[in-house]
Amino acid sequence: MAGTRPPSTRWTLLLSLVILLGCLIGHGVAVKHENFKKCSQSGFCNRNRAFADDVSAKGSSWSSPYELELSSIHFKDGQLQGTILKTISAEEKVRLPLTVSFLESGAARVVVDEEKRLKGEIELRHNSRARKERYNDIEKWVIVGDLELSKAATLSPEAADGYTKIMYGPENQFQAIIRHAPFGIEFQRDGETHVQLNNKGFLNLEHWRPKVDAPEGTEGAQGDDQSTWWEETFGGNTDSKPRGPESVAMDITFPGYNHVFGIPEHADSLSLRETRGGSGNHDEPYRMYNSDVFEYELNSPMTLYGSIPLMQAHRKGSTVGVFWLNAAETWVDIVKSGSSNPLALGIGGKTDTQSHWMSESGQIDLFVFLGPTPQDITKTYGELTGYTQLPQHFAIAYHQCRWNYVTDEDVKDVDRNFDKYQIPYDVIWLDIEYTDDRKYFTWDPMTFPNPIGMEEQLDESERKLVVIIDPHIKNQDKFTISQELKSKDLATKNKDGEIYDGWCWPGSSNWVDCFNPEAIKWWISLFKYDKFKGTLSNVFIWNDMNEPSVFNGPETTMPKDNLHHGNWEHRDIHNVHGITLVNATYDALLERKKGEVRRPFILTRSYYAGAQRISAMWTGDNQATWEHLAISIPMVLNNGISGYPFAGADVGGFFHNPSKDLLTRWYQAGIWYPFFRAHAHIDTRRREPYLIAEPYRSIITQSIRLRYQLLPAWYTAFHEASVNGTPIVRPQYFVHPADEAGFAIDDQLYLADTGLLTKPVVSEGVVTTDIYLADDEKYYDYFDYTVYQGAGKRHTVPAPIEKVPILMQGGHIIPRKDRPRRSSGLMKWDPYTLVIVLDKQGEAEGTLYVDDGETFDYERGAYIHRRFNFRESTLSSEDIGSKGPKTAAYLKTMADVRVEKLVIIDPPQEWQGKTAVTVIEEGAKAASTAAMEYHGQSHGKAGYAVVKNPNTGIGNTWRIEF
Amino acid sequence: MIFSRGSFLLAGVAACSTAVAAASDSARPRGVGPESIQIPVSAVNDDYCDCPDGSDEPGTSACAYLSRNSALTAADRPGDSDLEEGEELTTALPGFYCKNKGHRPSYVPFQRINDGICDYDLCCDGSDEWARVGGTKCEDKCKEIGKEWRKKEEQRQKSMTTAMKKKKELLVDAGRQQMEVEDSIKRLEAELQGEEIKAKNLEADLEEIEKQERSKVVKGKKAGKVNVLAQVAKGRVEELRNALEEVRHERDEVRSRVMELEAILSTFKVEYNPNFNDEGVKRAVRGWEDYAVRGTADTLENKARDRDLEEIVKPDSDQTGVNWEQWENEEDSCEPDTIYKLAAYLPPSFVTFVEDKVSSLRRFLEDNGVLPGSDEGSTPESKAVTQAREAVNAAHSTVKELQKQLKDHKEDLETDYGPASVFRALKNVCITKDAGEYTYEHCFLDQTKQIPKKGGASVRMGSFVSISSVTIDVLNEAGEMVPEQRTSLEYTRGQTCWNGPARSTTVILECGEENQILKIAEDEKCVYSMVISSPAVCPGGEEDVPRGKDEL
Repeated sequence: MAGTRPPSTRWTLLLSLVILLGCLIGHGVAVKHENFKKCSQSGFCNRNRAFADDVSAKGSSWSSPYELELSSIHFKDGQLQGTILKTISAEEKVRLPLTVSFLESGAARVVVDEEKRLKGEIELRHNSRARKERYNDIEKWVIVGDLELSKAATLSPEAADGYTKIMYGPENQFQAIIRHAPFGIEFQRDGETHVQLNNKGFLNLEHWRPKVDAPEGTEGAQGDDQSTWWEETFGGNTDSKPRGPESVAMDITFPGYNHVFGIPEHADSLSLRETRGGSGNHDEPYRMYNSDVFEYELNSPMTLYGSIPLMQAHRKGSTVGVFWLNAAETWVDIVKSGSSNPLALGIGGKTDTQSHWMSESGQIDLFVFLGPTPQDITKTYGELTGYTQLPQHFAIAYHQCRWNYVTDEDVKDVDRNFDKYQIPYDVIWLDIEYTDDRKYFTWDPMTFPNPIGMEEQLDESERKLVVIIDPHIKNQDKFTISQELKSKDLATKNKDGEIYDGWCWPGSSNWVDCFNPEAIKWWISLFKYDKFKGTLSNVFIWNDMNEPSVFNGPETTMPKDNLHHGNWEHRDIHNVHGITLVNATYDALLERKKGEVRRPFILTRSYYAGAQRISAMWTGDNQATWEHLAISIPMVLNNGISGYPFAGADVGGFFHNPSKDLLTRWYQAGIWYPFFRAHAHIDTRRREPYLIAEPYRSIITQSIRLRYQLLPAWYTAFHEASVNGTPIVRPQYFVHPADEAGFAIDDQLYLADTGLLTKPVVSEGVVTTDIYLADDEKYYDYFDYTVYQGAGKRHTVPAPIEKVPILMQGGHIIPRKDRPRRSSGLMKWDPYTLVIVLDKQGEAEGTLYVDDGETFDYERGAYIHRRFNFRESTLSSEDIGSKGPKTAAYLKTMADVRVEKLVIIDPPQEWQGKTAVTVIEEGAKAASTAAMEYHGQSHGKAGYAVVKNPNTGIGNTWRIEF
Repeated sequence: MIFSRGSFLLAGVAACSTAVAAASDSARPRGVGPESIQIPVSAVNDDYCDCPDGSDEPGTSACAYLSRNSALTAADRPGDSDLEEGEELTTALPGFYCKNKGHRPSYVPFQRINDGICDYDLCCDGSDEWARVGGTKCEDKCKEIGKEWRKKEEQRQKSMTTAMKKKKELLVDAGRQQMEVEDSIKRLEAELQGEEIKAKNLEADLEEIEKQERSKVVKGKKAGKVNVLAQVAKGRVEELRNALEEVRHERDEVRSRVMELEAILSTFKVEYNPNFNDEGVKRAVRGWEDYAVRGTADTLENKARDRDLEEIVKPDSDQTGVNWEQWENEEDSCEPDTIYKLAAYLPPSFVTFVEDKVSSLRRFLEDNGVLPGSDEGSTPESKAVTQAREAVNAAHSTVKELQKQLKDHKEDLETDYGPASVFRALKNVCITKDAGEYTYEHCFLDQTKQIPKKGGASVRMGSFVSISSVTIDVLNEAGEMVPEQRTSLEYTRGQTCWNGPARSTTVILECGEENQILKIAEDEKCVYSMVISSPAVCPGGEEDVPRGKDEL
């Protein structure tokens, strides 16, 4: 041994050096990992992963201890009920009530609860006041319909022994085959299995048990690791866990599927990666535990601010999905098992994707959607959790934000500068510094002495103000709102039932508990103009820090044993906490003055399924780096396919200063975010677009104006999302679900149904970009009409700094408004341009939706909804709306709004020499003519024709013959 | 329609770019030569953009998109699709021409025409909303707006006159101050010359005295009680010196520990991010900041004092400290000591008198070489030599002082005080403004400051460096953006920011009657700009002011 000493010392030295170096490098990595749990540090995740490993290791010798009791099965009116028995030992079986509902919408819902907890036949430790049952009230926050049970669903008589089979869905093409022992369900469509529950045997519902203090040194009978059953400590915070272990977990397999998408929010690719290690894979499961993650890292399964536990699996010709309705901390492992043929790799090869869902508490409550198209998933899911709200029109225009505009004069100055440089914007934002000492609903008297004057100036050009209101209320006796919160007993409590006090921006703070109906009522009252002094009707709200972010709490949030209204533990409701606040704010903004009902606008950082009905979201505190710009595209796309399309990332990057190139590229990308807002950290340089030196200023202005030009198309897309849940910006797989080579592409996007395809430049110094085309349709450069054609290939498109690479797919009609204005509100009366991009057959189609952009009158018919069709040399405008009591009056106000220009891309050559078209408008005495100019094609650029002033009313039925 | 279509109505056909000439001011710049593009007269102001320079739509917003601020498609360049990419787009008109009868005519940007907003600030006659979109009706307000404007304009003119008057005063004042400096230079130069001669003479004296001294023979010899006292004192001093040395050592050690701690804290401040959410940490950072504002250990370090201490602790010798040898060799029986003993019994005033007499007598004897210098033991230098040397030194330092003053004045004369040195008159003039939580102070050519209203120490936002200029974009009367040069004052090296650089301020000046801070902005973290009005930058006036003597 002695002989080996010297080299060993040297090794040690070297090792220490390496470690030291590692520490130094470690400094550069921003996110503070030690602040957030890994699966191994989260008791239930660790237990369930270990359980899964154990099950897998045992292979066929293992049998899942869950069994559906045959005698308990009862099927009636589209609903199956029964009891699953979990075998603990020969003597002990735990009863778990099961409900499987088959819904009229085609979705199926599987709920598993625990009888003892449900009946309250358990004892809580530490004399806890917490509720005994598993959380069963999440529906209230998330589900808005359609839970109607299917009348057609029937019990199939053909089921084999040990199985129960139910036919349901459209024309009963769906089947749920329930295996009794071990319990499991297979969902089939057209005779093929698409979703399997508990196929791997990972189903695990930790039943209630009293704590048995085992004598020192003896382990549990089964060798269970009980170390995290009764208490967990992380980062100096101890969770008292009064109900002991109570997690729920299950494996869900998608046989034959190679891609799964969804479960936002993660800074990761659209197509989710495997999580059990290996090259290109993650080591950790995807986590959903809404958190204020400081300087988050990219390409990571780490949790972020919001979560939507909707996962969809996609393969050629089929999309299916599952929605795990549980608001507790949730982890999802993903493993893909490939075919044995290594050459088949993905495409063509048969791959199963297996997911393993683990939640800390609550019920198993799972919805299964069988597609078969991506649209079917977003539609059915939307029917369940609600569609995107149709926002006020200004909300889809450009937002200018900064932490902080420091005085009311500062705001007015920025406002004037936008006009001076003729850059359109609609909304200016105030971060926390506008308040008096971080007391929400107040204004700093020194810096914002005249908020009304400021808002009036903004209103002169129909601009809006958004101010931040967070859920933490400064704990200060002389602050009226704090007094009210406490005296009315509307705050969240700690585990002992006392008002919880934590640290946030204002220092010591309390949190409004929006689970309490009284708290919601009170919250609503705070926004009335006479209560929140200094606000006018053009003021809207930003709800931040609603994860909730608690600076001194475990993982920067509340202790899990905190208690909310109804004595639900914070652990049970954590992920839904954010939207309870937004929900209350939404109700508050609906009618701030009697009779003045307006569509609310709220931006939220934290979210859960359902948030789309009431708010927009952004991806939180990103950084001014090219990598963050790049990741914003898949993040926004992923939110879109997960039912929450009103999404965006901070243009320019929140932390640090972007270079001029980066900022410019970010604007060029940002105009494709449904929610388009520039934002910056307080320590960064001012970067309002007019401050950037030429030529960047003009280039950025062009981008913003491009967004404004296309607002008619954007608003139409928002409308579509609001009625059928279709994403506003769409990934490749969604538009071309049969093109396998495009499934994993997440750096280019389509704008709704417009055929506009863009691939924002997200790297430095690039002058071209390769756009992938899935189909054989002709695509045209948006600006110069260069033609690109060829399916399944990447096409090189010029993308110098001054150019946004955009292609127009043949076959679409794109509505535009070409006149630049100060704000979108001032474009209301402007005429339309229709860009008619002909397809190979010489046809095109498009839609337009218009309303007042402000009120709910559209619900009573005050809107214009047209379908434009170009075929057989005729362009027609057809009404696809339905009339309501307010239709006529609205159409009258819009009577003077007309079509000023038609641009036909790639017209037939026969048009050469043609100089006029015939316009036939319904209600006109006679047909009229409009001048047309034809331009032939040249140098790979398509020809085009321009019709001048057809002068047809936008709300009218008409046709134009070429 | 509000525009006269002139003779083109007769012709039936118009050409792009000339169409606009009829519609408004013919002096406006023309387009890119699309005169060749013919359009029917009916296409002028028909709310559809036909001309690539927009000249057919002087009265509508139809051509508003023709701008480098819009990304144009091939079909957006009407009648000019062949125009090569990248070619600069030139529009025929800066905007919609508002006649504003009863006020001044002006241009309104095309993007504001018929958008439903009455832009009275530009178009008081309301003609910008002639289409009455959505029922917008803008009545003609030119009468009242014009009246109001004229009133204001009159005030402005008056104010400008006053400003010019003030500027002249400033120029006179500046000229006077400059002359004073020039005078001072002359005076100083003369004085310096005198002093230099004096110093030379004294040097010669010193040399002479030294020569005499070397020939002296009588020397004192060692004896008596003083020597005992000297030895005791020497021991005591030695003891104190050692103690001082020890204390210094301890101080240095503590200081280095403080510096180490400060280094930890300042790294902590830099690496910590304020967005991460720990109030305790933030408080610590704020505490550190406040502490750092009061100065850190390295600023406390006083090199001069340290050098002094260094000197003090050096062992005594004939060069530094007390020359013990001399005292140890002092003659005990010298009469001054007898007189001191006697003095204890005499009234103080008498003692002083006697003392003076005795010492002057003694000096006389010594000076004449009769007695050896009482304070010289083994040291060869006599009092006379010392005095002569002191005189020489004093003369040298006077010379140096004068040279420095002269240099300062000359530098001052060479310093840029702006045209006709106008800012000389404003130097150290301070003005303040309340804005938000702070009162801001600007002292011309000195510094800028931020004084928190809620209390606490004020923060220096920069010290004066130079007079400079900045270019800012302004809208001219035609609504066009034009670059304009403004005089600016640069202040840098202010107090360092939390998580940021040293503060700096650019003061941008504009002509105004009063010296006044108009606006303060933090353009980026700790980089401020102030817009300040001052008569000093009003145009003209420099040539009328009497200049300094040198130019007479």
